[in-house]
Amino acid sequence: MSTATATPPRRRLAGAGVKLSDRIGEPAFRIVCGLAALVAVVLILWIAETVFNKASGAISAFGLGFLGHETWDPVHNHYGAAALIYGTFVSSLGAMIIATPVAILIAIYLTELAPRFIRRPVAILVELLAAIPSVILGLWGIIILGPFMESHLQPFLHSFLGWIPVFAGSYSPLSMLSAIVILTIMALPIITSITREVFETTDPQLKEGAYALGATRWEMVRMTVLPVARPGIVGAVILGVGRALGEAIAVTQVIGNVSQIKASLYQPAGTMASWIANSYQSANPGLGTSSLLYLAAILLVISVIVNLGARVIIRRAGAR
Amino acid sequence: MRYRRLIAGLIAVLAALAVAACGSSSSTKTVTASAAANSSGGSSSGGSSVGGASTLIGAGSTLVAPLLQGWASTYDTAYKVAITYGPIGSGGGIEQITGRSVNFGASDAPMTSQEAAACKGCLEIPWALAATDVAYHVSGVPNNLKLTGPVLADMFTGKITSWNDPAIAKLNPGVNLPNTKVVPIHRTDGSGDTYAFTNYLSHVDPAFKSKIGAATTVNWPGGLGGKGNSGVGGALQTTNGGIAYIAIAYVLQNKFDYALVQNAAGKYPTPGPASILAAANAVKTIPSGGTQGISLVDPPASAAGAYPISTFTYVIIPKSGSSPAVAAGLKKFIGWAITSGQDGVQKLDFAPLPANVVAADKKTIQLIH
Repeated sequence: MSTATATPPRRRLAGAGVKLSDRIGEPAFRIVCGLAALVAVVLILWIAETVFNKASGAISAFGLGFLGHETWDPVHNHYGAAALIYGTFVSSLGAMIIATPVAILIAIYLTELAPRFIRRPVAILVELLAAIPSVILGLWGIIILGPFMESHLQPFLHSFLGWIPVFAGSYSPLSMLSAIVILTIMALPIITSITREVFETTDPQLKEGAYALGATRWEMVRMTVLPVARPGIVGAVILGVGRALGEAIAVTQVIGNVSQIKASLYQPAGTMASWIANSYQSANPGLGTSSLLYLAAILLVISVIVNLGARVIIRRAGAR
Repeated sequence: MRYRRLIAGLIAVLAALAVAACGSSSSTKTVTASAAANSSGGSSSGGSSVGGASTLIGAGSTLVAPLLQGWASTYDTAYKVAITYGPIGSGGGIEQITGRSVNFGASDAPMTSQEAAACKGCLEIPWALAATDVAYHVSGVPNNLKLTGPVLADMFTGKITSWNDPAIAKLNPGVNLPNTKVVPIHRTDGSGDTYAFTNYLSHVDPAFKSKIGAATTVNWPGGLGGKGNSGVGGALQTTNGGIAYIAIAYVLQNKFDYALVQNAAGKYPTPGPASILAAANAVKTIPSGGTQGISLVDPPASAAGAYPISTFTYVIIPKSGSSPAVAAGLKKFIGWAITSGQDGVQKLDFAPLPANVVAADKKTIQLIH
C-alpha cells in the first residue's frame, strides 16, 4: 500500500499497464457487491416462503374466515384474527393522527421559526427519541404513562369527549390509548426528521416571492413549504406506519394483550405483532402455532402493501 | 486519496467476509435447522462413557424454575453433572421434548391426549408440588380476603364487576369493600398456573368448564393479559382493582396481597407447604405407568387443611430413544430429585412429595431405557 504514489488512479486502470491485483480486484469487487444484493433478495423471499409454508395448516383450516373471527380460543382450537387486525389498525391510525401534525409543527419550528443556535440541538434531541430501545419505552409506559393515563388523561378526555363512544367507558392503565401514545413517541422522530429535511429543500426564491407578495410567515409556509413538501410528508408518515405496525415489545407491555374489539380506547386490546411476541413460544402444537404464522403472514402482506403503496403515492405526487 | 482507497478496500473485504458468512450459513441453514434437534442431545451424550451424561438439558415450566436452579447447583457439586434449564413456560417445555430438542421437558399441566400422542412414548413423572395463589391489588382492602371458587369464576368471566359485590361482601363480614372495578389479569403465554387455575374453576363451576375450559392457555373474556409471572405481576401492581393467579413463590417474594380460597370442607387454609401437602395427601390412588397426570385440585372435604389450587408439576421424558448415557443420566437425576431433592423445598414455597407418589415415581423411572 505504501508504494502507491500520487499517480491518479484512473490512469492505472486504463491501458496495458493495469496491475494484476486490479485486474482480479475489479471483477471480484463486482461479484462481492452483487452477492450482497442477492443475499437481501433471497432473504426476503425465503422469509415469506417460510411464513406462508408454516401458516398453510391454519389457512386451509380456517380460510378467509380467519380474518373475520374475533376470538382466539386454544381450548376449542378455534382461532381468528379480527380483533388483532382491528387492534393493529386502530393503534397505528391513532398514533399517526397524533404524530403527523406534531411532527409537521416541530419541523416548521426547526426550519422557519427557531433561532439558529437552537435548531441543531433540538433536531438532535428529537432524533434521539428514536434511539430509546423500545423495551425501555415500554417500561416507562408501565411505570409512568399507564397510571398517568388512568388518573388524569382518561378522566380529562372523558369529561370533554365522553359522548363519543371512543372516549367513554371505565379507565385502565394498560389500554389501547397507552399503546397509541407509545407508538406516537416511536413514530415522531422518524416523521419529524424526514419532514424537516424536505422542508429545508424548499427553494428560498419561492419563500422570498411569497414574502414579497405580502404573505405572513404562516401564509408563506402554507403556500410554498407545505405544497412542495407534501409527497415527502406522505412518505414520512408511511414510514411511521411501518414502524407502528410491526412494533411488538413496547406495545405488549402497555396494551393489556386481550383479543377483543371494544369501541373505547380505554380498554385493553392486542395487535398482531404483540400477540405473536406474546404467545409464540407456548402456542399449542399444530393448529395453534400455524394460526400464529397465519397472523404473521397477514402482517407481512399488510406491511408490504403499505410500503409499495407509499412508493406509488410518492411517485404520483412527485410527478404532479 | 491513499486513505480513501485503503478504506474502500477494507470495506470490500468486510463485505466479502459478511457475504461469505451469510452465504455459508444460508446454504447450511436447512441442515443446521434439522440437526438442531439432535445437536443438544448429541453434545450431551458425547461427553461421557460411564454412569450417564455429563450434561442434561431441559426446558419448560416457569413455576419449577427456582427449584431446578437449586437442584442444578447441588447436583453439579455432588455428581459433576451440569443441568441446564430454560424456563420458557409449560407449553414450550412440552413442545421442546416432543421435538426432542431437549433431554427433558417440565410442565405443571399433564399432557393432553393430543400432546401425549405427539410426544410418542413420553413418560410424565410428578417431581414437585406447588400451588397457584390468587393475588389482588385493591387499595383499602386488607390482605387475605376470603373467596370461593364460584365467586372467582364470576370475577374472571366478568359476572362480578365490582369489589363491593354482595357475593364478596357476604364472605368477608366486617371488611369495608370499595366500589372498585374488578380487573381480572391472566397469563397470555402457555402456563401451568393457567392450567391449575382453570382446572380448579372447571371443577367447581360447570358453566366455566363448558364455556372456557381448562388448558395452559384459554380464551379469557376481557380483563388484562401479561406474559410470564413478571408481565402479570407488573399489570397487577399498576392496576387498582386487579386480581391475578400467580405461582405462590412469586406472590410471596413480591409481597402481593393474596386471597384465602375456600376448600371443599368450607375452610380457608393459608396457601403454603402445609396446606399443599394436605391436598397431596388426599390423593389415594396414584396412576402407574407414567402416562397420566394426578389431579390435585379441589380435594374432598375430608382433607380439611388442603389448599384447593395445589398442583403437581411434572418432568416429561422419552421412555426410550435417548442415548444410553442420557437415559442413565436422567434416571439418576430424577431419582435424586424425587428423594434427596425434596429436602428443604419448603424454603422455595414448594411442598415435599408424599411417600406414595415417590414410590410410584420410582417404578415409573424403571421404565426408562
